[in-house]
Amino acid sequence: MHKWGMVIDLDRCSGCQTCMAACHAENNIAIIGPEESAMGRTIHWIELLPYIEGEYPHIKARLLPRPCMHCEHPACIKVCPVGATYVNEEGLVGIVYSRCIGCRYCTTACPYTVRSFNWYEPRWPKEMKGSLNRDVSIRGKGVVEKCSFCHHRLLKARERAKAEKRELLSEDYIPACVQACPSNAMYFGDLNDPFSTVSILSRERRAFKLLEDLGTEPKVIYLSEGM
Amino acid sequence: MESLQGLLRETWHFYKKTLILVSRGSKIYYAWCFSLLAIIIAGFIFYWKQHEMGLLETNMTDQVSWGLYIANFTYLVGMAAAAVLLVIPAYIYQFKPIKEIVVLGELFAASCMVMAILFVMVDLGRLDRFWHMLPFIGSMNFPASLLAWDVLALNGYLFLNLLIPIYLLVKSYYGKKPNWKFILPFILLSIPWAVGIHTVTAFLYNGLAARPFWNASILAPRFLASAFCSGPAIIIIIFQIIRRVSAIKIEDSALFKVAELIAYSMFLNLFLLGAEIFKEYYSGTVHMASFKYLFEGLHHHNELVPWIWAAMAMNVTAFILFLIPSTRKRLSTLNLGCLLIIVGVWIEKGPGFVIPGFVPDPLGEIHEYVPNLVEFMVSFGIWALGLLIFTLLMKVAIPIETGEFSHTEYEKERPYLRPH
Repeated sequence: MHKWGMVIDLDRCSGCQTCMAACHAENNIAIIGPEESAMGRTIHWIELLPYIEGEYPHIKARLLPRPCMHCEHPACIKVCPVGATYVNEEGLVGIVYSRCIGCRYCTTACPYTVRSFNWYEPRWPKEMKGSLNRDVSIRGKGVVEKCSFCHHRLLKARERAKAEKRELLSEDYIPACVQACPSNAMYFGDLNDPFSTVSILSRERRAFKLLEDLGTEPKVIYLSEGM
Repeated sequence: MESLQGLLRETWHFYKKTLILVSRGSKIYYAWCFSLLAIIIAGFIFYWKQHEMGLLETNMTDQVSWGLYIANFTYLVGMAAAAVLLVIPAYIYQFKPIKEIVVLGELFAASCMVMAILFVMVDLGRLDRFWHMLPFIGSMNFPASLLAWDVLALNGYLFLNLLIPIYLLVKSYYGKKPNWKFILPFILLSIPWAVGIHTVTAFLYNGLAARPFWNASILAPRFLASAFCSGPAIIIIIFQIIRRVSAIKIEDSALFKVAELIAYSMFLNLFLLGAEIFKEYYSGTVHMASFKYLFEGLHHHNELVPWIWAAMAMNVTAFILFLIPSTRKRLSTLNLGCLLIIVGVWIEKGPGFVIPGFVPDPLGEIHEYVPNLVEFMVSFGIWALGLLIFTLLMKVAIPIETGEFSHTEYEKERPYLRPH
């Protein structure tokens, strides 16, 4: 059984936001104007969080890409009153959009603020309608959504492997953000395989996880010399 | 056959009389009901706008994802739970002045429950899917989700607080003694259930590791203590209005007894708050940020500061007023204290409790929140609806209690029904 995980090397990340752009295009994330954006209603499945390192004058401002952590013990799942969110055996945390009632209890429970609520009906400029990804469902107003590690790509890869009559290899499946990263700062793979790139990197001295003391056991591992 | 016909006729008469009772009243009664109705309609129009456009119409954001609605919900659950402060002296200690009015308190709890449930409903992004939360027909995540617990606890409490008073009132209507063997277990059950609804509501916030402001084990006791101040305070005011506009007798001693209970609860409330403030400020960890935001302001964000200090001043003043017997037993100071508590506790455990949980968010970002017109209007609408339900319930319950509306009166009207 695979256990999918991601490694983000902050020392390589240039903060170019390509991962965000790729994610928006891949996952049909709605576009909104600057007013609502200023209100804090933008939806990003991966977001670059600004953070400050060091003390003045040795200060460094950095950006930290934050997808869903796909925690081993997610805080969001147990709180959902209708069982609309789940973690599967491969460690992916998903949402059943058609079951979500929009109570935003999971948004409140998530320590990483990865969950976004659809405050409005999603809209795209007319010219963009044709470029929507048909593999990803569109979320209507009133439900919560978040990064799925491009789960649809896993489903596709599995189908392809089946058609080619072979086992699924971890190289077959890669989320859009990792694929798009121009500075090779993101890695994706099977954490259960001790020799996979992500496993090897996760054992590095530079490795750390966000808010680990909450017992969530995130499957997104960061690498940084500075922290 | 004849007895069935008789029963149907009696029931029909009962309902007809009920309708007549609620549709006739003084000019003030009409003015009151129609102004409530106007507020309800206005609230509904604003809600409709929110329903059509999405929660975009409110001022809530991804950072502060619960606002005025959930603040009101929390407060009203406490209000409903507070009916237990009438139930205990009435049924356990058989304190006569309160026993005469306990039914009114239970109907008050039922009205509060309706409001609390409505506040959750208007907060949902998909109202059409609310049935997903219901047991058996939906896909309720019980026992893992505390919100699922709350659905059961709140509806159960609503059921108890309708069953008990309606049973007692119907018995009283027929001039019969209630069958205590039947109803007493429900009454006794309603006592721990009242504590339960507010504990479950506290746990709803309490269990979130990501929100240190709520993640304090003192939360449930604090909730109960503040509820046992604000609920009885509003009950004292309502009882004085009722005895002025209706024939029912409510003794001052009942009010003073309730006021005494408020004094104890307010002491506990302030003590528990003090314990929490000490722990936060003395240990001074990063988890103090929300407390700082609430009481001092954080990085020049200090929207809630004047509110919470006003609430503190109100609560302490009211505590002193209720502590001194001479001010507690004078109606003018008693009422002043009640009003201070109603407002003070609303600020403290409504917006003063919900909003700082979100500010700063777990990653340290600060986004402030002020409710907008839509949220205020919808909230007023729900409050007005609750008051209207309570008023109509009182319009029927009080004549039954005083004996004006009873089966014997009905028999007197129709002498031929009497057995020869």
